[in-house]
Order: sequence, then C-alpha cells, then structure tokens
Amino acid sequence: MSTPPAIEVRNLSVGYEDINAVRGVSFTVPAGGRIGLVGESGSGKSMTALALMGLLPAGWTAQGEVMHDGLNLVSQSDRALSSRRGRTISMVFQDPMSSLNPVRRVGDQIADVIHRHNGVSRREAVRQTIALMVQMNLPRPEQLARSYPHQISGGQKQRIMIAMALACYPQLIIADEPTTALDVTVQKQVLRLLKAATSERNSALLMITHDLPVIAAMCDTVAVMYAGRIVEYGPVQQVFRNPRHHYTRGLLDSQPTMDNIALDGTSRLVSIPGMVPPLQRLPSGCAFNPRCPAATEKCRAEMPELDRDGAACWHPVQTRETAIA
Amino acid sequence: MSFAPTTTTTARPKRRRRRNLTLTIGIVVTVAFVAMALASFFYLPHNPNVPRIPDRLLPAGSPGYLLGTDALGRDIFSQLMVGARTSLMVGAGGALISLIIGTLAGLSAAAFGRVADETISRGADIMLSIPGMVTALVLAATIGSGALTTILALSSFFTPSFTRVIRSAALSVLQEDFITAARLYARPTWFILLRHVLPNVAGVMIVQFTLYFAAGILTEAGLSYLGVGVTRPSISWGMMLNEAQQQVGISSPLAMWPGLAIVIVVLGLNLLGDGLRDVLDPKLARRA
Amino acid sequence: MISRQPLLAMQQVSQAYSLPRTALFSPPGSFTVLDSIDFDVCAGEAVGLVGESGAGKTTLTRIMTGMERPQSGRVLFDGIDIWSAGQAERADFRRSVQMVLQNPRSSLDPRMRVSTALLEPMRSLRIEGDHVKRLHEVLDQVGLDKSALDRFPHEFSGGQLQRIAIARALMPNPRVLVADEPVSALDVSIQAQVLNLLKDLVRNLNLGLVFIAHDLSVVAYTTSRVSVIAGGRIVEVGQPVELFTRPKAPQTKNLVDAVLTVESGLSGTAL
Repeated sequence: MSTPPAIEVRNLSVGYEDINAVRGVSFTVPAGGRIGLVGESGSGKSMTALALMGLLPAGWTAQGEVMHDGLNLVSQSDRALSSRRGRTISMVFQDPMSSLNPVRRVGDQIADVIHRHNGVSRREAVRQTIALMVQMNLPRPEQLARSYPHQISGGQKQRIMIAMALACYPQLIIADEPTTALDVTVQKQVLRLLKAATSERNSALLMITHDLPVIAAMCDTVAVMYAGRIVEYGPVQQVFRNPRHHYTRGLLDSQPTMDNIALDGTSRLVSIPGMVPPLQRLPSGCAFNPRCPAATEKCRAEMPELDRDGAACWHPVQTRETAIA
Repeated sequence: MSFAPTTTTTARPKRRRRRNLTLTIGIVVTVAFVAMALASFFYLPHNPNVPRIPDRLLPAGSPGYLLGTDALGRDIFSQLMVGARTSLMVGAGGALISLIIGTLAGLSAAAFGRVADETISRGADIMLSIPGMVTALVLAATIGSGALTTILALSSFFTPSFTRVIRSAALSVLQEDFITAARLYARPTWFILLRHVLPNVAGVMIVQFTLYFAAGILTEAGLSYLGVGVTRPSISWGMMLNEAQQQVGISSPLAMWPGLAIVIVVLGLNLLGDGLRDVLDPKLARRA
Repeated sequence: MISRQPLLAMQQVSQAYSLPRTALFSPPGSFTVLDSIDFDVCAGEAVGLVGESGAGKTTLTRIMTGMERPQSGRVLFDGIDIWSAGQAERADFRRSVQMVLQNPRSSLDPRMRVSTALLEPMRSLRIEGDHVKRLHEVLDQVGLDKSALDRFPHEFSGGQLQRIAIARALMPNPRVLVADEPVSALDVSIQAQVLNLLKDLVRNLNLGLVFIAHDLSVVAYTTSRVSVIAGGRIVEVGQPVELFTRPKAPQTKNLVDAVLTVESGLSGTAL
C-alpha cells in the first residue's frame, strides 16, 4: 500500500514490579490519521503515551511492540529513541507551566528543537521559529520569542509547546490532555490550531484525554481505556452515537453537556456508581464488572477481548435508548 | 486554571532498596558515633590527657592500646572517644540553636507580611555574607576559644541558611487550600503556623538538621585544627590532627585515626540526611 | 416568583489593589479587580458565577466569605452588613457561610486524619453540641463510610476527597455553601456524582449554593440563575436556558461558543 502507519502498537503492557498499568493494548494510527484515547485516572492512558515516547519513569518497563519509523520502540536504546523524539514523534504535555523550561526564553526552546533535529544553522533555526510562531497565530512573534514562560499566558504557552512539537514535521504527535489546564474559551482556539496544523503537515495525532467532546471534535477513531485495557474501539461517529460497552455508555451519559441536560433544571445526570479500581486490586474477569448494570457470572470469570465490532464485552449494549438528540 | 486528574498509581520502583541502604548506613554510623561519645562519660580505657612517656608512639594493636599511642604516650582510642563527645556537643548544639532560631525566623518571614519578610530575609542575607570562619576567629579573639565559642560561631552561620529553607518550605505550604480553610475559620496566624505549617515542614527541618550537624562537626574540627577551637583538657579530633602534624615524618598513622573518624562520621550523617529526605519527601511532596 | 430576602448579598461591591511603586515620590497606581458588583443568593437556591480566569471570580469569592474587605459596597448576610456588625453576628456569619475549593488534594492537611479535619471547623468556630453525632450525620449526607474517619487524605481518590471537603463544609450546619470550581479537577464520571450531591444538598437542606466555574454547561446543570462576570463586572444575569439560547453580552456569547459537546464535535460544527 502507500504510507506505513504513523505508529502501530501491538499488545503493549507497561508496569513496574508485578503491577501493570497497561495490560495488552493494541491500536494503529494510520499516517495522517487522528485517534483519541479516552480514559479517566487509573485507566493507563498516560502511561501508554509515555511508553510510546520512551519516557517511562524509573523502574517502569514496557513489553510488546511499538512499531514506528521502522523500529520497535520498546526495545530501542535511549540514543535511538532520542534521535526520534521531537523529530518523527513528539509530544504536547498537559501542564504548559511545568513542561516549558522556566529559565530559557520560549523562542530559544523552539529554535533548539529545530537546530538539533534539522541540522540547520542557529540563525536559520531562529528564522524558522518565527515563521512557526506566526503560523500558531501568536501575536508579535519576535517580541514573544524573547519572553520567558512566566511572562506569557497559558494559551500562548500551549501554542509554543505545539510549535515545538510540530517544528520537525513529525509523523506522529501525542497530545496528553493538552487543553485541560486551560480556560474553555482558550481551549477552542488551541484545539482548532492543533487540528489545522496537524492536517496541514499530514502529521498523525494521538489525542489523550478524559474529555469526550474534545475527542468527538478532533478525532476520527476512538479507543476507550479502562483499567489498563481498551474496552471499546472504533470510528468516533459510531462509538459515540451507538456505544456498545457499558462504560462508554456510562461516560456519555454522565457528562453535563448541553446534549443531555434539560435547561429547565429537571434532568438528572446518571453517574456510574463506584470508582475506578486501584491497579493492585483489579476485579477478576472484566475489570468493569462491579460497576456494570449488565454484569453476570461470566463477566467475573472471564476477561473479554475486543469483538468484531470493537467492544470488549460479553453483553454489549444492543440499542441506544437515550439518544443524543 | 484547573488541576487535571493524575494517575492513581504511585511509582515505587527498585530505587527503594538503594534508598534504604543509604538510610541504613547513615543510621548505623550515627548510632555508633553517638554511642561512642556517650560511652566516654562512663568508661575510658585510659586517661586521654595524662602522658605516659615510656609508652609513646606504640602502634595499633599493642596490648592495652587499641589504636596505639601518640607522641606523649596517650591512648589514641580514648582520645577519639572524648573527641567524639566534643563533636557531638558542638555539632548538635550549633545545629539545634540554628534550627530553633531559623524556624522561628523562617515561619515569621513566610506568614507575617511583607515588612517582616523583607526585614528577616535581608538580615539573613547580611549574616550570610560574613564568612563563618571569620566570625569564628573574631569570636575566639574576643571571648576566647572553646566549645561554646564554636557553637556560637556555627549558629550564626547556619541560622540564616536554615531561615531561608524553612521560609521557602513554609511559603509553599501556605499556598495550599487547607490553609485557606483554616483562615476561613478565623484561626489566628500563630495557630495556623503551629498546627498546620510546622508538621508539614517537619521533614525539611529534620533533614536540614542532620546536614548542618555534619557540617558543624567538620567546621569544629577545622577550627580546632587551627587552634581556635577547644584546647586541652578538652579533646577534639581536629586538635588531634594538629598534634599529629608534628609527627608526620615519624609516625604517620597518628593523623589517620582522627582523620578517618571525621570522614566516617560526616559521611554517615550526610547519608542519614539524604536517606531521611528520600523517605520523608515522597509522602510530603510527591503525593500531589 | 415570591420575593425573598437573600441570605447573602453583595451590593455595589468594588475592590482595587494598589500596584507597587514605580517611582519614589509619586503615589502608586491602582488596579481595579471588581467594579460595582451586585450578587446574591437565597435559601434553597443555586446560583452560578461564570467567567474566564482573571475575571475576578476568586476575589469575589474571598469577599463573599468575609476573608477580604471590599474597598466599597456592602456585604450583607441576613440583611446585616458583616463589616459593621457586632461580634455575635460576625460569628454567626462565619459559621453560616462555608467554602468548597477546587483542588481536593490541597483542601485537606495531609498530616491530619479525616476525623480531625472534619472536627476542625467545630472547634475553631466554637460550636457546641454532640460533635460525634454531627460527624456521622454529615458522612451520611455526603455518602461516605465511617471507615473514612481514621484514614489520611493520601489514601483517597480525588472524588472522595472532594466529598470529604464538602462534608467538612457542612459540619457547622451552614446556610450558604460557596463552591469554587468544585469539579474541575475530577474525572468525568465522578463529576456527575459530586454535582448530583450538591443539587441534593441544596434541595434537602435548603442551602444556598454559589457555584463558580468557567465551564457553562456544568453551571447550567447545577444552578437556576447564572451571573456572567468579565473584567471585574457582571455583564449578564439570567436563567441558564436564556443565556444559552439568547446570550446578550459578547462575553456570554464567547462562553456559550466555547462549550464543546459530543454532538457538536461529531457534526463537525465544534471547531
């Protein structure tokens, strides 16, 4: 066929000592594609992202295959990985305050990435930096480039991070909760920018968040994670309109969005009872069974795999009763 | 600005074993050191100050003299034990005084407003700009050398550093929401400091104390070596080094024992401080 | 609608801070944070305050709870100006207005057991009565098990901590609860639990709830009247449905626009 996928993850497991935060996760991001990874705290989504970048904290190990740029990233040396980080695969982190270097000017931080990976002269890197900042709709780029992170707003910081991530036209950008720390009004601008910039460069996007509307707006495909496994996977239009896994359905029903609340104050959000289980004490069988309205003995006994239609469930939801109108 | 959910897992990697080793060594050395110092009050193999010329410069392992004798026939091991006493008192004394004053100053600077903060911080800066050794020498010249002088000198040197450290730890605790809640209940500031801030900076205090304790021992040894620390009949490891210096050509091991004692104890205390920091910090800081 | 006297009201409240001196002999400049704010809440009513960061929400919260004194305007509790009230009235005010903050991990002293933290307000506000009985009552109200009492904050998840924070706010039997971004730091499925809890408390205990957020949909679900604050001024007040369907102020329009929903995302109209 044509271009190989930006990244192909096969049976990835991430853990430390005898506890696994990620338990056998598989997905493929086609070249230029956009896939969302949905999950709450304890789902393992952030660990997945770190494993892809080779940035796991000390003591954590990854097993499985992560095929990118012709190599299995799991078994690479730090050297091979660092030549790719920032160049073919890059990341936008959640909290711009702690992911930008506070003692260097923001322009320099972008220029560093360009200079290091593209092999151009320092002067050329600076020129490219300014061009990039213009693309990010940043006002007065020459002046802004000389600022320090604490002097600029959250939205601007995040745009700087995106600029750094895009600078070398990577095959894949991983965005881990990129707008969670921002105001809603800024969020929209940043997401719009991310979408446009990635499609313009034909970079694939792996968007990781617990915010479902963001996935709906940004991605074509979605993978829903719970307790370290993917429990539902498929095109976003299909999964969000007709969720088949009860967790996905629960997530959709529990969001106070304008879709499911009656503005006269009569509606009531349906929350998923219970809590995400801690990794050390996962339920047997399907990890969601204690909280699931359709759980049976089989669910407690055997762990389901993803079926043909993309749901890892013994009794998937048949029809969608409460429709998103 | 919102704070987004982080992973519920807490990483406890293999580093824990190495951490415990540091702590263990630190504890062992410190306990041995303190035991030796305290034991010196009850039992000494020989009188460390009385010369016994016939037995001078005996090598280590000689009968009755575990580490041998010095140029005047005095038992080295007994001298080490009494020297440990000095190191303990001076080091701990200096660190303790700095701890008390530094904590009071640091908490006040953090909690009582801009004027208090500026005054205390600038005062600390001024004190820090005077080198410790100079202070020690001036004090020795004016009130005479000795353990007390050294303790004073150490305190004046460590207090401003302590103040800074406590101030910054207190400032970050004061940012937390539970402090806001306490203010909402109209708790007076001194109460908030005592009940909420102090327990949360206790870890920092303990770690700094052990580190300054170690530094104090080293400084005291240096001062005694220069002759401005303690003098006979008190004994200090630094003083032993000075006396051994005259015998370097004749009996080199004389300098080795006090030197080794200093190195081991200072290292042990530093390891203790590091080990404690690793144990205490994760509970305090990395839970967020 | 029956007109009732508001429990807590702010009338023409303004606040300004002075900037640090830039020149030695000229007076320092000042920076207006709040400008003639009118805001109130009645018993059994949930009102919302929405605005972007920097709009003045935090300052307003501090003034509302008596932690800061406004430069001008009045803060009335049960009709009495708290800044010119006597000791007894001030004490009553402090007991009756409680807060729940955004970051659940920061709201509790990590070195204190949950039971101690819950009893804190009773001791400091010098409230008498059977504290232990009250503890159990409050735990029931927020849906927490008694086993939580002996544990430390780090043993709980964010959602549970927020419940504990709400429990602590309920201990002195307040009449007004001020919740500053209470669910922003929580997971989606837990947000629903906490929002439902807040709604139930308003209804069952006849509490006044002031709900502050930057996300309009969360506020719309929980409250019946919303004020939009921007640049230190209230720019629009209305019922959630009106603000969404017929927003008047440009800032309101921005906030409504910024709301992302699954449906608008799927239909491609979101971004």
